[in-house]
Parts: sequence; C-alpha cells; structure tokens
Amino acid sequence: MDRYLLIFSTLLAAVGGVLGMLSVHRGVRSRWTVAWMAAAFCSQLGFLALRGEARAACPLRDAGEILAYLAWSLTLFYLATGPAYRVSLLGVFTAPVVVVFQTAALLPGKLDLVPLKAVGTDPWRETHAALSVLSYGALALAGVAGVMFLVLDHQLKEHHLKSGLFRNLPPVRELLKSTTRLLWLGTLLLTLGIAAGFLMPRAGGSHAHLIAAVASWAGYVLLLGVNAARGMTGRRLSLAAVGLFLLSLTVFAFV
Amino acid sequence: MELACLGLNHRTAPVEVRERFAVGTPKLGEASHELLALAGMGEGVVVSTCNRTEFYLAAENAEQGLRELERSLAERHGLTPEVADHFYRFTRIDAAEHLCRVVSGLDSMVLGETEIFGQVKQAYHAALHASATGGVLNRLFQRAFGVGKKVRTETRIQEGATSIGNVAVDLAEKIFGHLEHSEVMILGAGEMSRLTAQALVSRGARSIFVTNRSYERAVDLAEAMGGSAVRFDEWQKVLERVDVVISSTGAPHALVHRADVEKVRRARKFRPLFFIDIAVPRDIDPAVGEIEEVYLYDIDTLESLAEEARVRRQRQIDECERIITAELAKLNLPGT
Repeated sequence: MDRYLLIFSTLLAAVGGVLGMLSVHRGVRSRWTVAWMAAAFCSQLGFLALRGEARAACPLRDAGEILAYLAWSLTLFYLATGPAYRVSLLGVFTAPVVVVFQTAALLPGKLDLVPLKAVGTDPWRETHAALSVLSYGALALAGVAGVMFLVLDHQLKEHHLKSGLFRNLPPVRELLKSTTRLLWLGTLLLTLGIAAGFLMPRAGGSHAHLIAAVASWAGYVLLLGVNAARGMTGRRLSLAAVGLFLLSLTVFAFV
Repeated sequence: MELACLGLNHRTAPVEVRERFAVGTPKLGEASHELLALAGMGEGVVVSTCNRTEFYLAAENAEQGLRELERSLAERHGLTPEVADHFYRFTRIDAAEHLCRVVSGLDSMVLGETEIFGQVKQAYHAALHASATGGVLNRLFQRAFGVGKKVRTETRIQEGATSIGNVAVDLAEKIFGHLEHSEVMILGAGEMSRLTAQALVSRGARSIFVTNRSYERAVDLAEAMGGSAVRFDEWQKVLERVDVVISSTGAPHALVHRADVEKVRRARKFRPLFFIDIAVPRDIDPAVGEIEEVYLYDIDTLESLAEEARVRRQRQIDECERIITAELAKLNLPGT
C-alpha cells in the first residue's frame, strides 16, 4: 500500500509538472500546478505515515525513505514559500526534482519491502535525521530558485524575451531574495540537525558521513557569509546554490 | 429605433479638425442629453477623447438621425462639406460593430491600448446619469463592454509593450519587480530620457537623479520630475546606489565604460544594474553589458522589441474581429 501511495504521488507531481510546462509554453500561467503538487504532498504524507507506523519511528531507515522524505520536504517548502513567487511556475521547476527523487526511491532495493520496527530509538538520532533531511528540502528549493534565476538571467542577457517561460518567470530581484532566504533557512535547519547528530550516541565506524555533512554545512555557511559580507552576483550565488546542493547529496552515500 | 454612429478620429481627421468637435469630460453628459432635442432622436451618447469624437444615436430612422445630427453640427460648429468628409458614418449592426472595435482598442492609435475602454465607459455613464440613454443604447454599451473584455482576455491584443519607454519599464520590472525600491539615474536631460524616466516613475520608481553637461538643464528636469540634480563630473558616485541608468546624451563617443562600472561593483555588492542606452551614437560601451550583473539594452534592441509587440498585436486583429462578429451575431441587439 505504502509503495502505491508513493507511485501515485510521483504520478501527480509528473502530471502537474507536464501540464505546467505546457501552459508555460503557451505563454499562460499554470494555475493548477499548485493543486497537483498539493495532492502529491498529501499522498507523500500518506506514504510517510504508513512507513512511520510500520517503523514505529521517523521513516528514515532506508535509502528509499530518505529520498521520499527529501521529496516531501521539498514539496513542503514549495507549498509554504510558493506564494512569495509566482506559485505555479516554481511548481513547474520543483515537480521534476520531486519526480526524480521519488522515482529513485522506487527503484528496486531502495525501499525495504517489509519495513522492520526500529529497536531502541534515540530522540537525538530522530531529531538529527528529521531536521537534516528537512534542511535538504529547503536547500533543494534554493537550488530550484537558482536554476530559475539562471534561465531568466540568460534570457535577459541574450535579449531572448519572447518565450512564454520568460513572461512567466518572477523578477530577478525576487528570485535572488528567495534563493538567499531559502539558503539561510536550510542552513539553520542543517546546523540544528548536525548539532543533534553530535548529541546522539555514536557507534564508532566510519566518519565519512560526519565529514561529508560538516563539509556541506561549512560550504553553505561560507556561501552565506561571503554573500552577506561582500555581496555576490546573482549568477554566482545561483550556481553555488545548485552546485552545493548536488555536492551535499554525497552525504547520503555514507548513511 | 435604429442605431447610428457619426464620428471622426486620428485616422480620418487632423488635430485642428478634431479639436473643433472635442467635448470636455465634464460636459459629456450634457452633450449627450442635447442630442435628444434633435427630431426623431430617442437616445444619445457622446464619446470624446484626444483621438476621437463619436456620437452614438438611437433614432427612429438611422439615416435621418445622422442627417439631423450633421445639420445640428453645421449650425453649432460650422460643419462645412469639406470638414464633413472627415466624418465616418455607421448604421445599425455596423454601428454596434464599430463600438465593439473601439472598446477593444482595435480602432486606437496604439493598437490594443486599454485606456479607451475606461474612456468609453466614462462617457456612457455620463450619458446614463444625464438620462440620455434608454433600452437600445444601454444594451449596446453594456454588451460592447462585455465583448471588449472577451477580446482582451481571449486574444493577445494588449500583450507586450509597443513603445521604447514601456519596453524599458517592462524590462525594469522583470529585473527589479515592484519599482518602489528602485532608484534611477538619467544621463543627459533629453526628451527621450525624460519620457522613459517618467514611465518608470509612473510605475513607482523611488528616486530620480539627473545629470547633464549643462547643470541648469539637469536642475530643471530634476525639479520637473521631483528628483535631484547631480553635477556631470559626479555621476560615477551616484552609480553606486542606483538600479537603473537611462542614458541619452548627445556625446559623440561612449561616456560609460566598463572600468566605470567595475569600480563600483563591490560598493554595490554586485546588485543587478539595468542600463538603458537610447542615445545615438551610443553612450554606453557594449563591453559594459559583459559584466555579470549588468543588463544593457540599446535603442535598436528596445525598438525591435516594441516593433515585435506591434506586429504581434497586428496579427491578432483577425481573431479579435472574429470574436466581435460572433458575439454580435449571438446578441441580437435592438436597433441593429
């Protein structure tokens, strides 16, 4: 049942994204993308609720759950911050990322077919996992806003102003503000997540996960510090937001 | 009752003829009511803007109503046969169709412009309050407004800016969003700069700085626009704070070089900067546009964007007229 909910959610996001792209191509705003994404979000909630109940813990125990939780977090931030943008268009850019994460989660071997009940859960471990993955949702959305900026910047620079996409993209200044705010929010959540990670009981073994997490966190802190202190062109900020997010995904390779 | 329309506009009459028949906005109701005094006239609405004056009538006989109106205009405004040639006449369904074209902006100087919709509405309300309208014209105007809205929502007749000033403003909004947090600098106190800056101010741009080789002219323009004048040798300092630069000097060579902008980038914290160069020869070195956060548009680019929008609007005319014909066929208006 849980798997079907995730498949259903993936299909909803895919349909919302495709319909949104077609609207944008025609030069009109895709008013229904937010509705499709909200439906996908409900379905994601259903999946996570069932997995959480089966695990008797936060459903972050296998790679599939982590990817699904990440997609849920991304959708959550899109729905929460969307009104600051032209909602539907951010959805058009977010939907493909959600589809990619959830399709990856559905690949054979990623989701435990029979999720086992977690034994001896620790509140700090749960907090660490939940906040860290939640932060990745905000950081992923910052990357999405960054991609939107890069597209708009290219069109403005090259004077390609005829497309429906150009007409529907939010202004440069709004995109940069949103990228910065999402980076701050994501970094704050990541800081709390990592702090919780230091407080949870550790069982020796490899430090690769810790090193990758701290390196990602340091990268984001450095980016925000440089941007606040010295300023940064929109292109560099956006490229950094996208690049850092992709690099930071390596953290999950060591979970 | 039959519908009729007598009018003249920017295409049929020069301004010296149009101004003789123009009716001020406060007098539109009174002028509409006066039409009722003509023989056989049941209802009347006078529409008058800077580009047109039109009389819409509901008379017992459309042709006779037009003749009565022309006789009255000849008495009051000296409508000679030569001047009468500037007028167009429509009766019955053609009059209804003409009104729909007017409210849809198809008959406007700037194709698809929206201001005419409000102006016709204002004229109709003035006639309504003056009790100059009845069943025929009330239905005609209300339906025409409906058709006008349909044309604007279902076609792209009002899409895109058709003047250099409006293209520049649209681009500024695409970069900065609401312009109330944006500051503008004008290099050169020419007419084009003034018009473009005014368009930006009308959309909320906050501060205007004007610089010109002649400081007195900069002061005059700054006062007229509620801005501040800057001495010509100090414009680089202002560049640190502004978001938009409009340049239109008569200088024979580029005034703004890449190095000028490079110098202030750090002080600006690399914020986006929009240069509008409407001077010929160009005031801004094209190399300035290579800087990452700079968006540079010269007069040719702006004009080609305006021209593209005009062509796009032209292509919409057939579609608009198809909607008007179809809607009128469905409405079965009285007097047509």
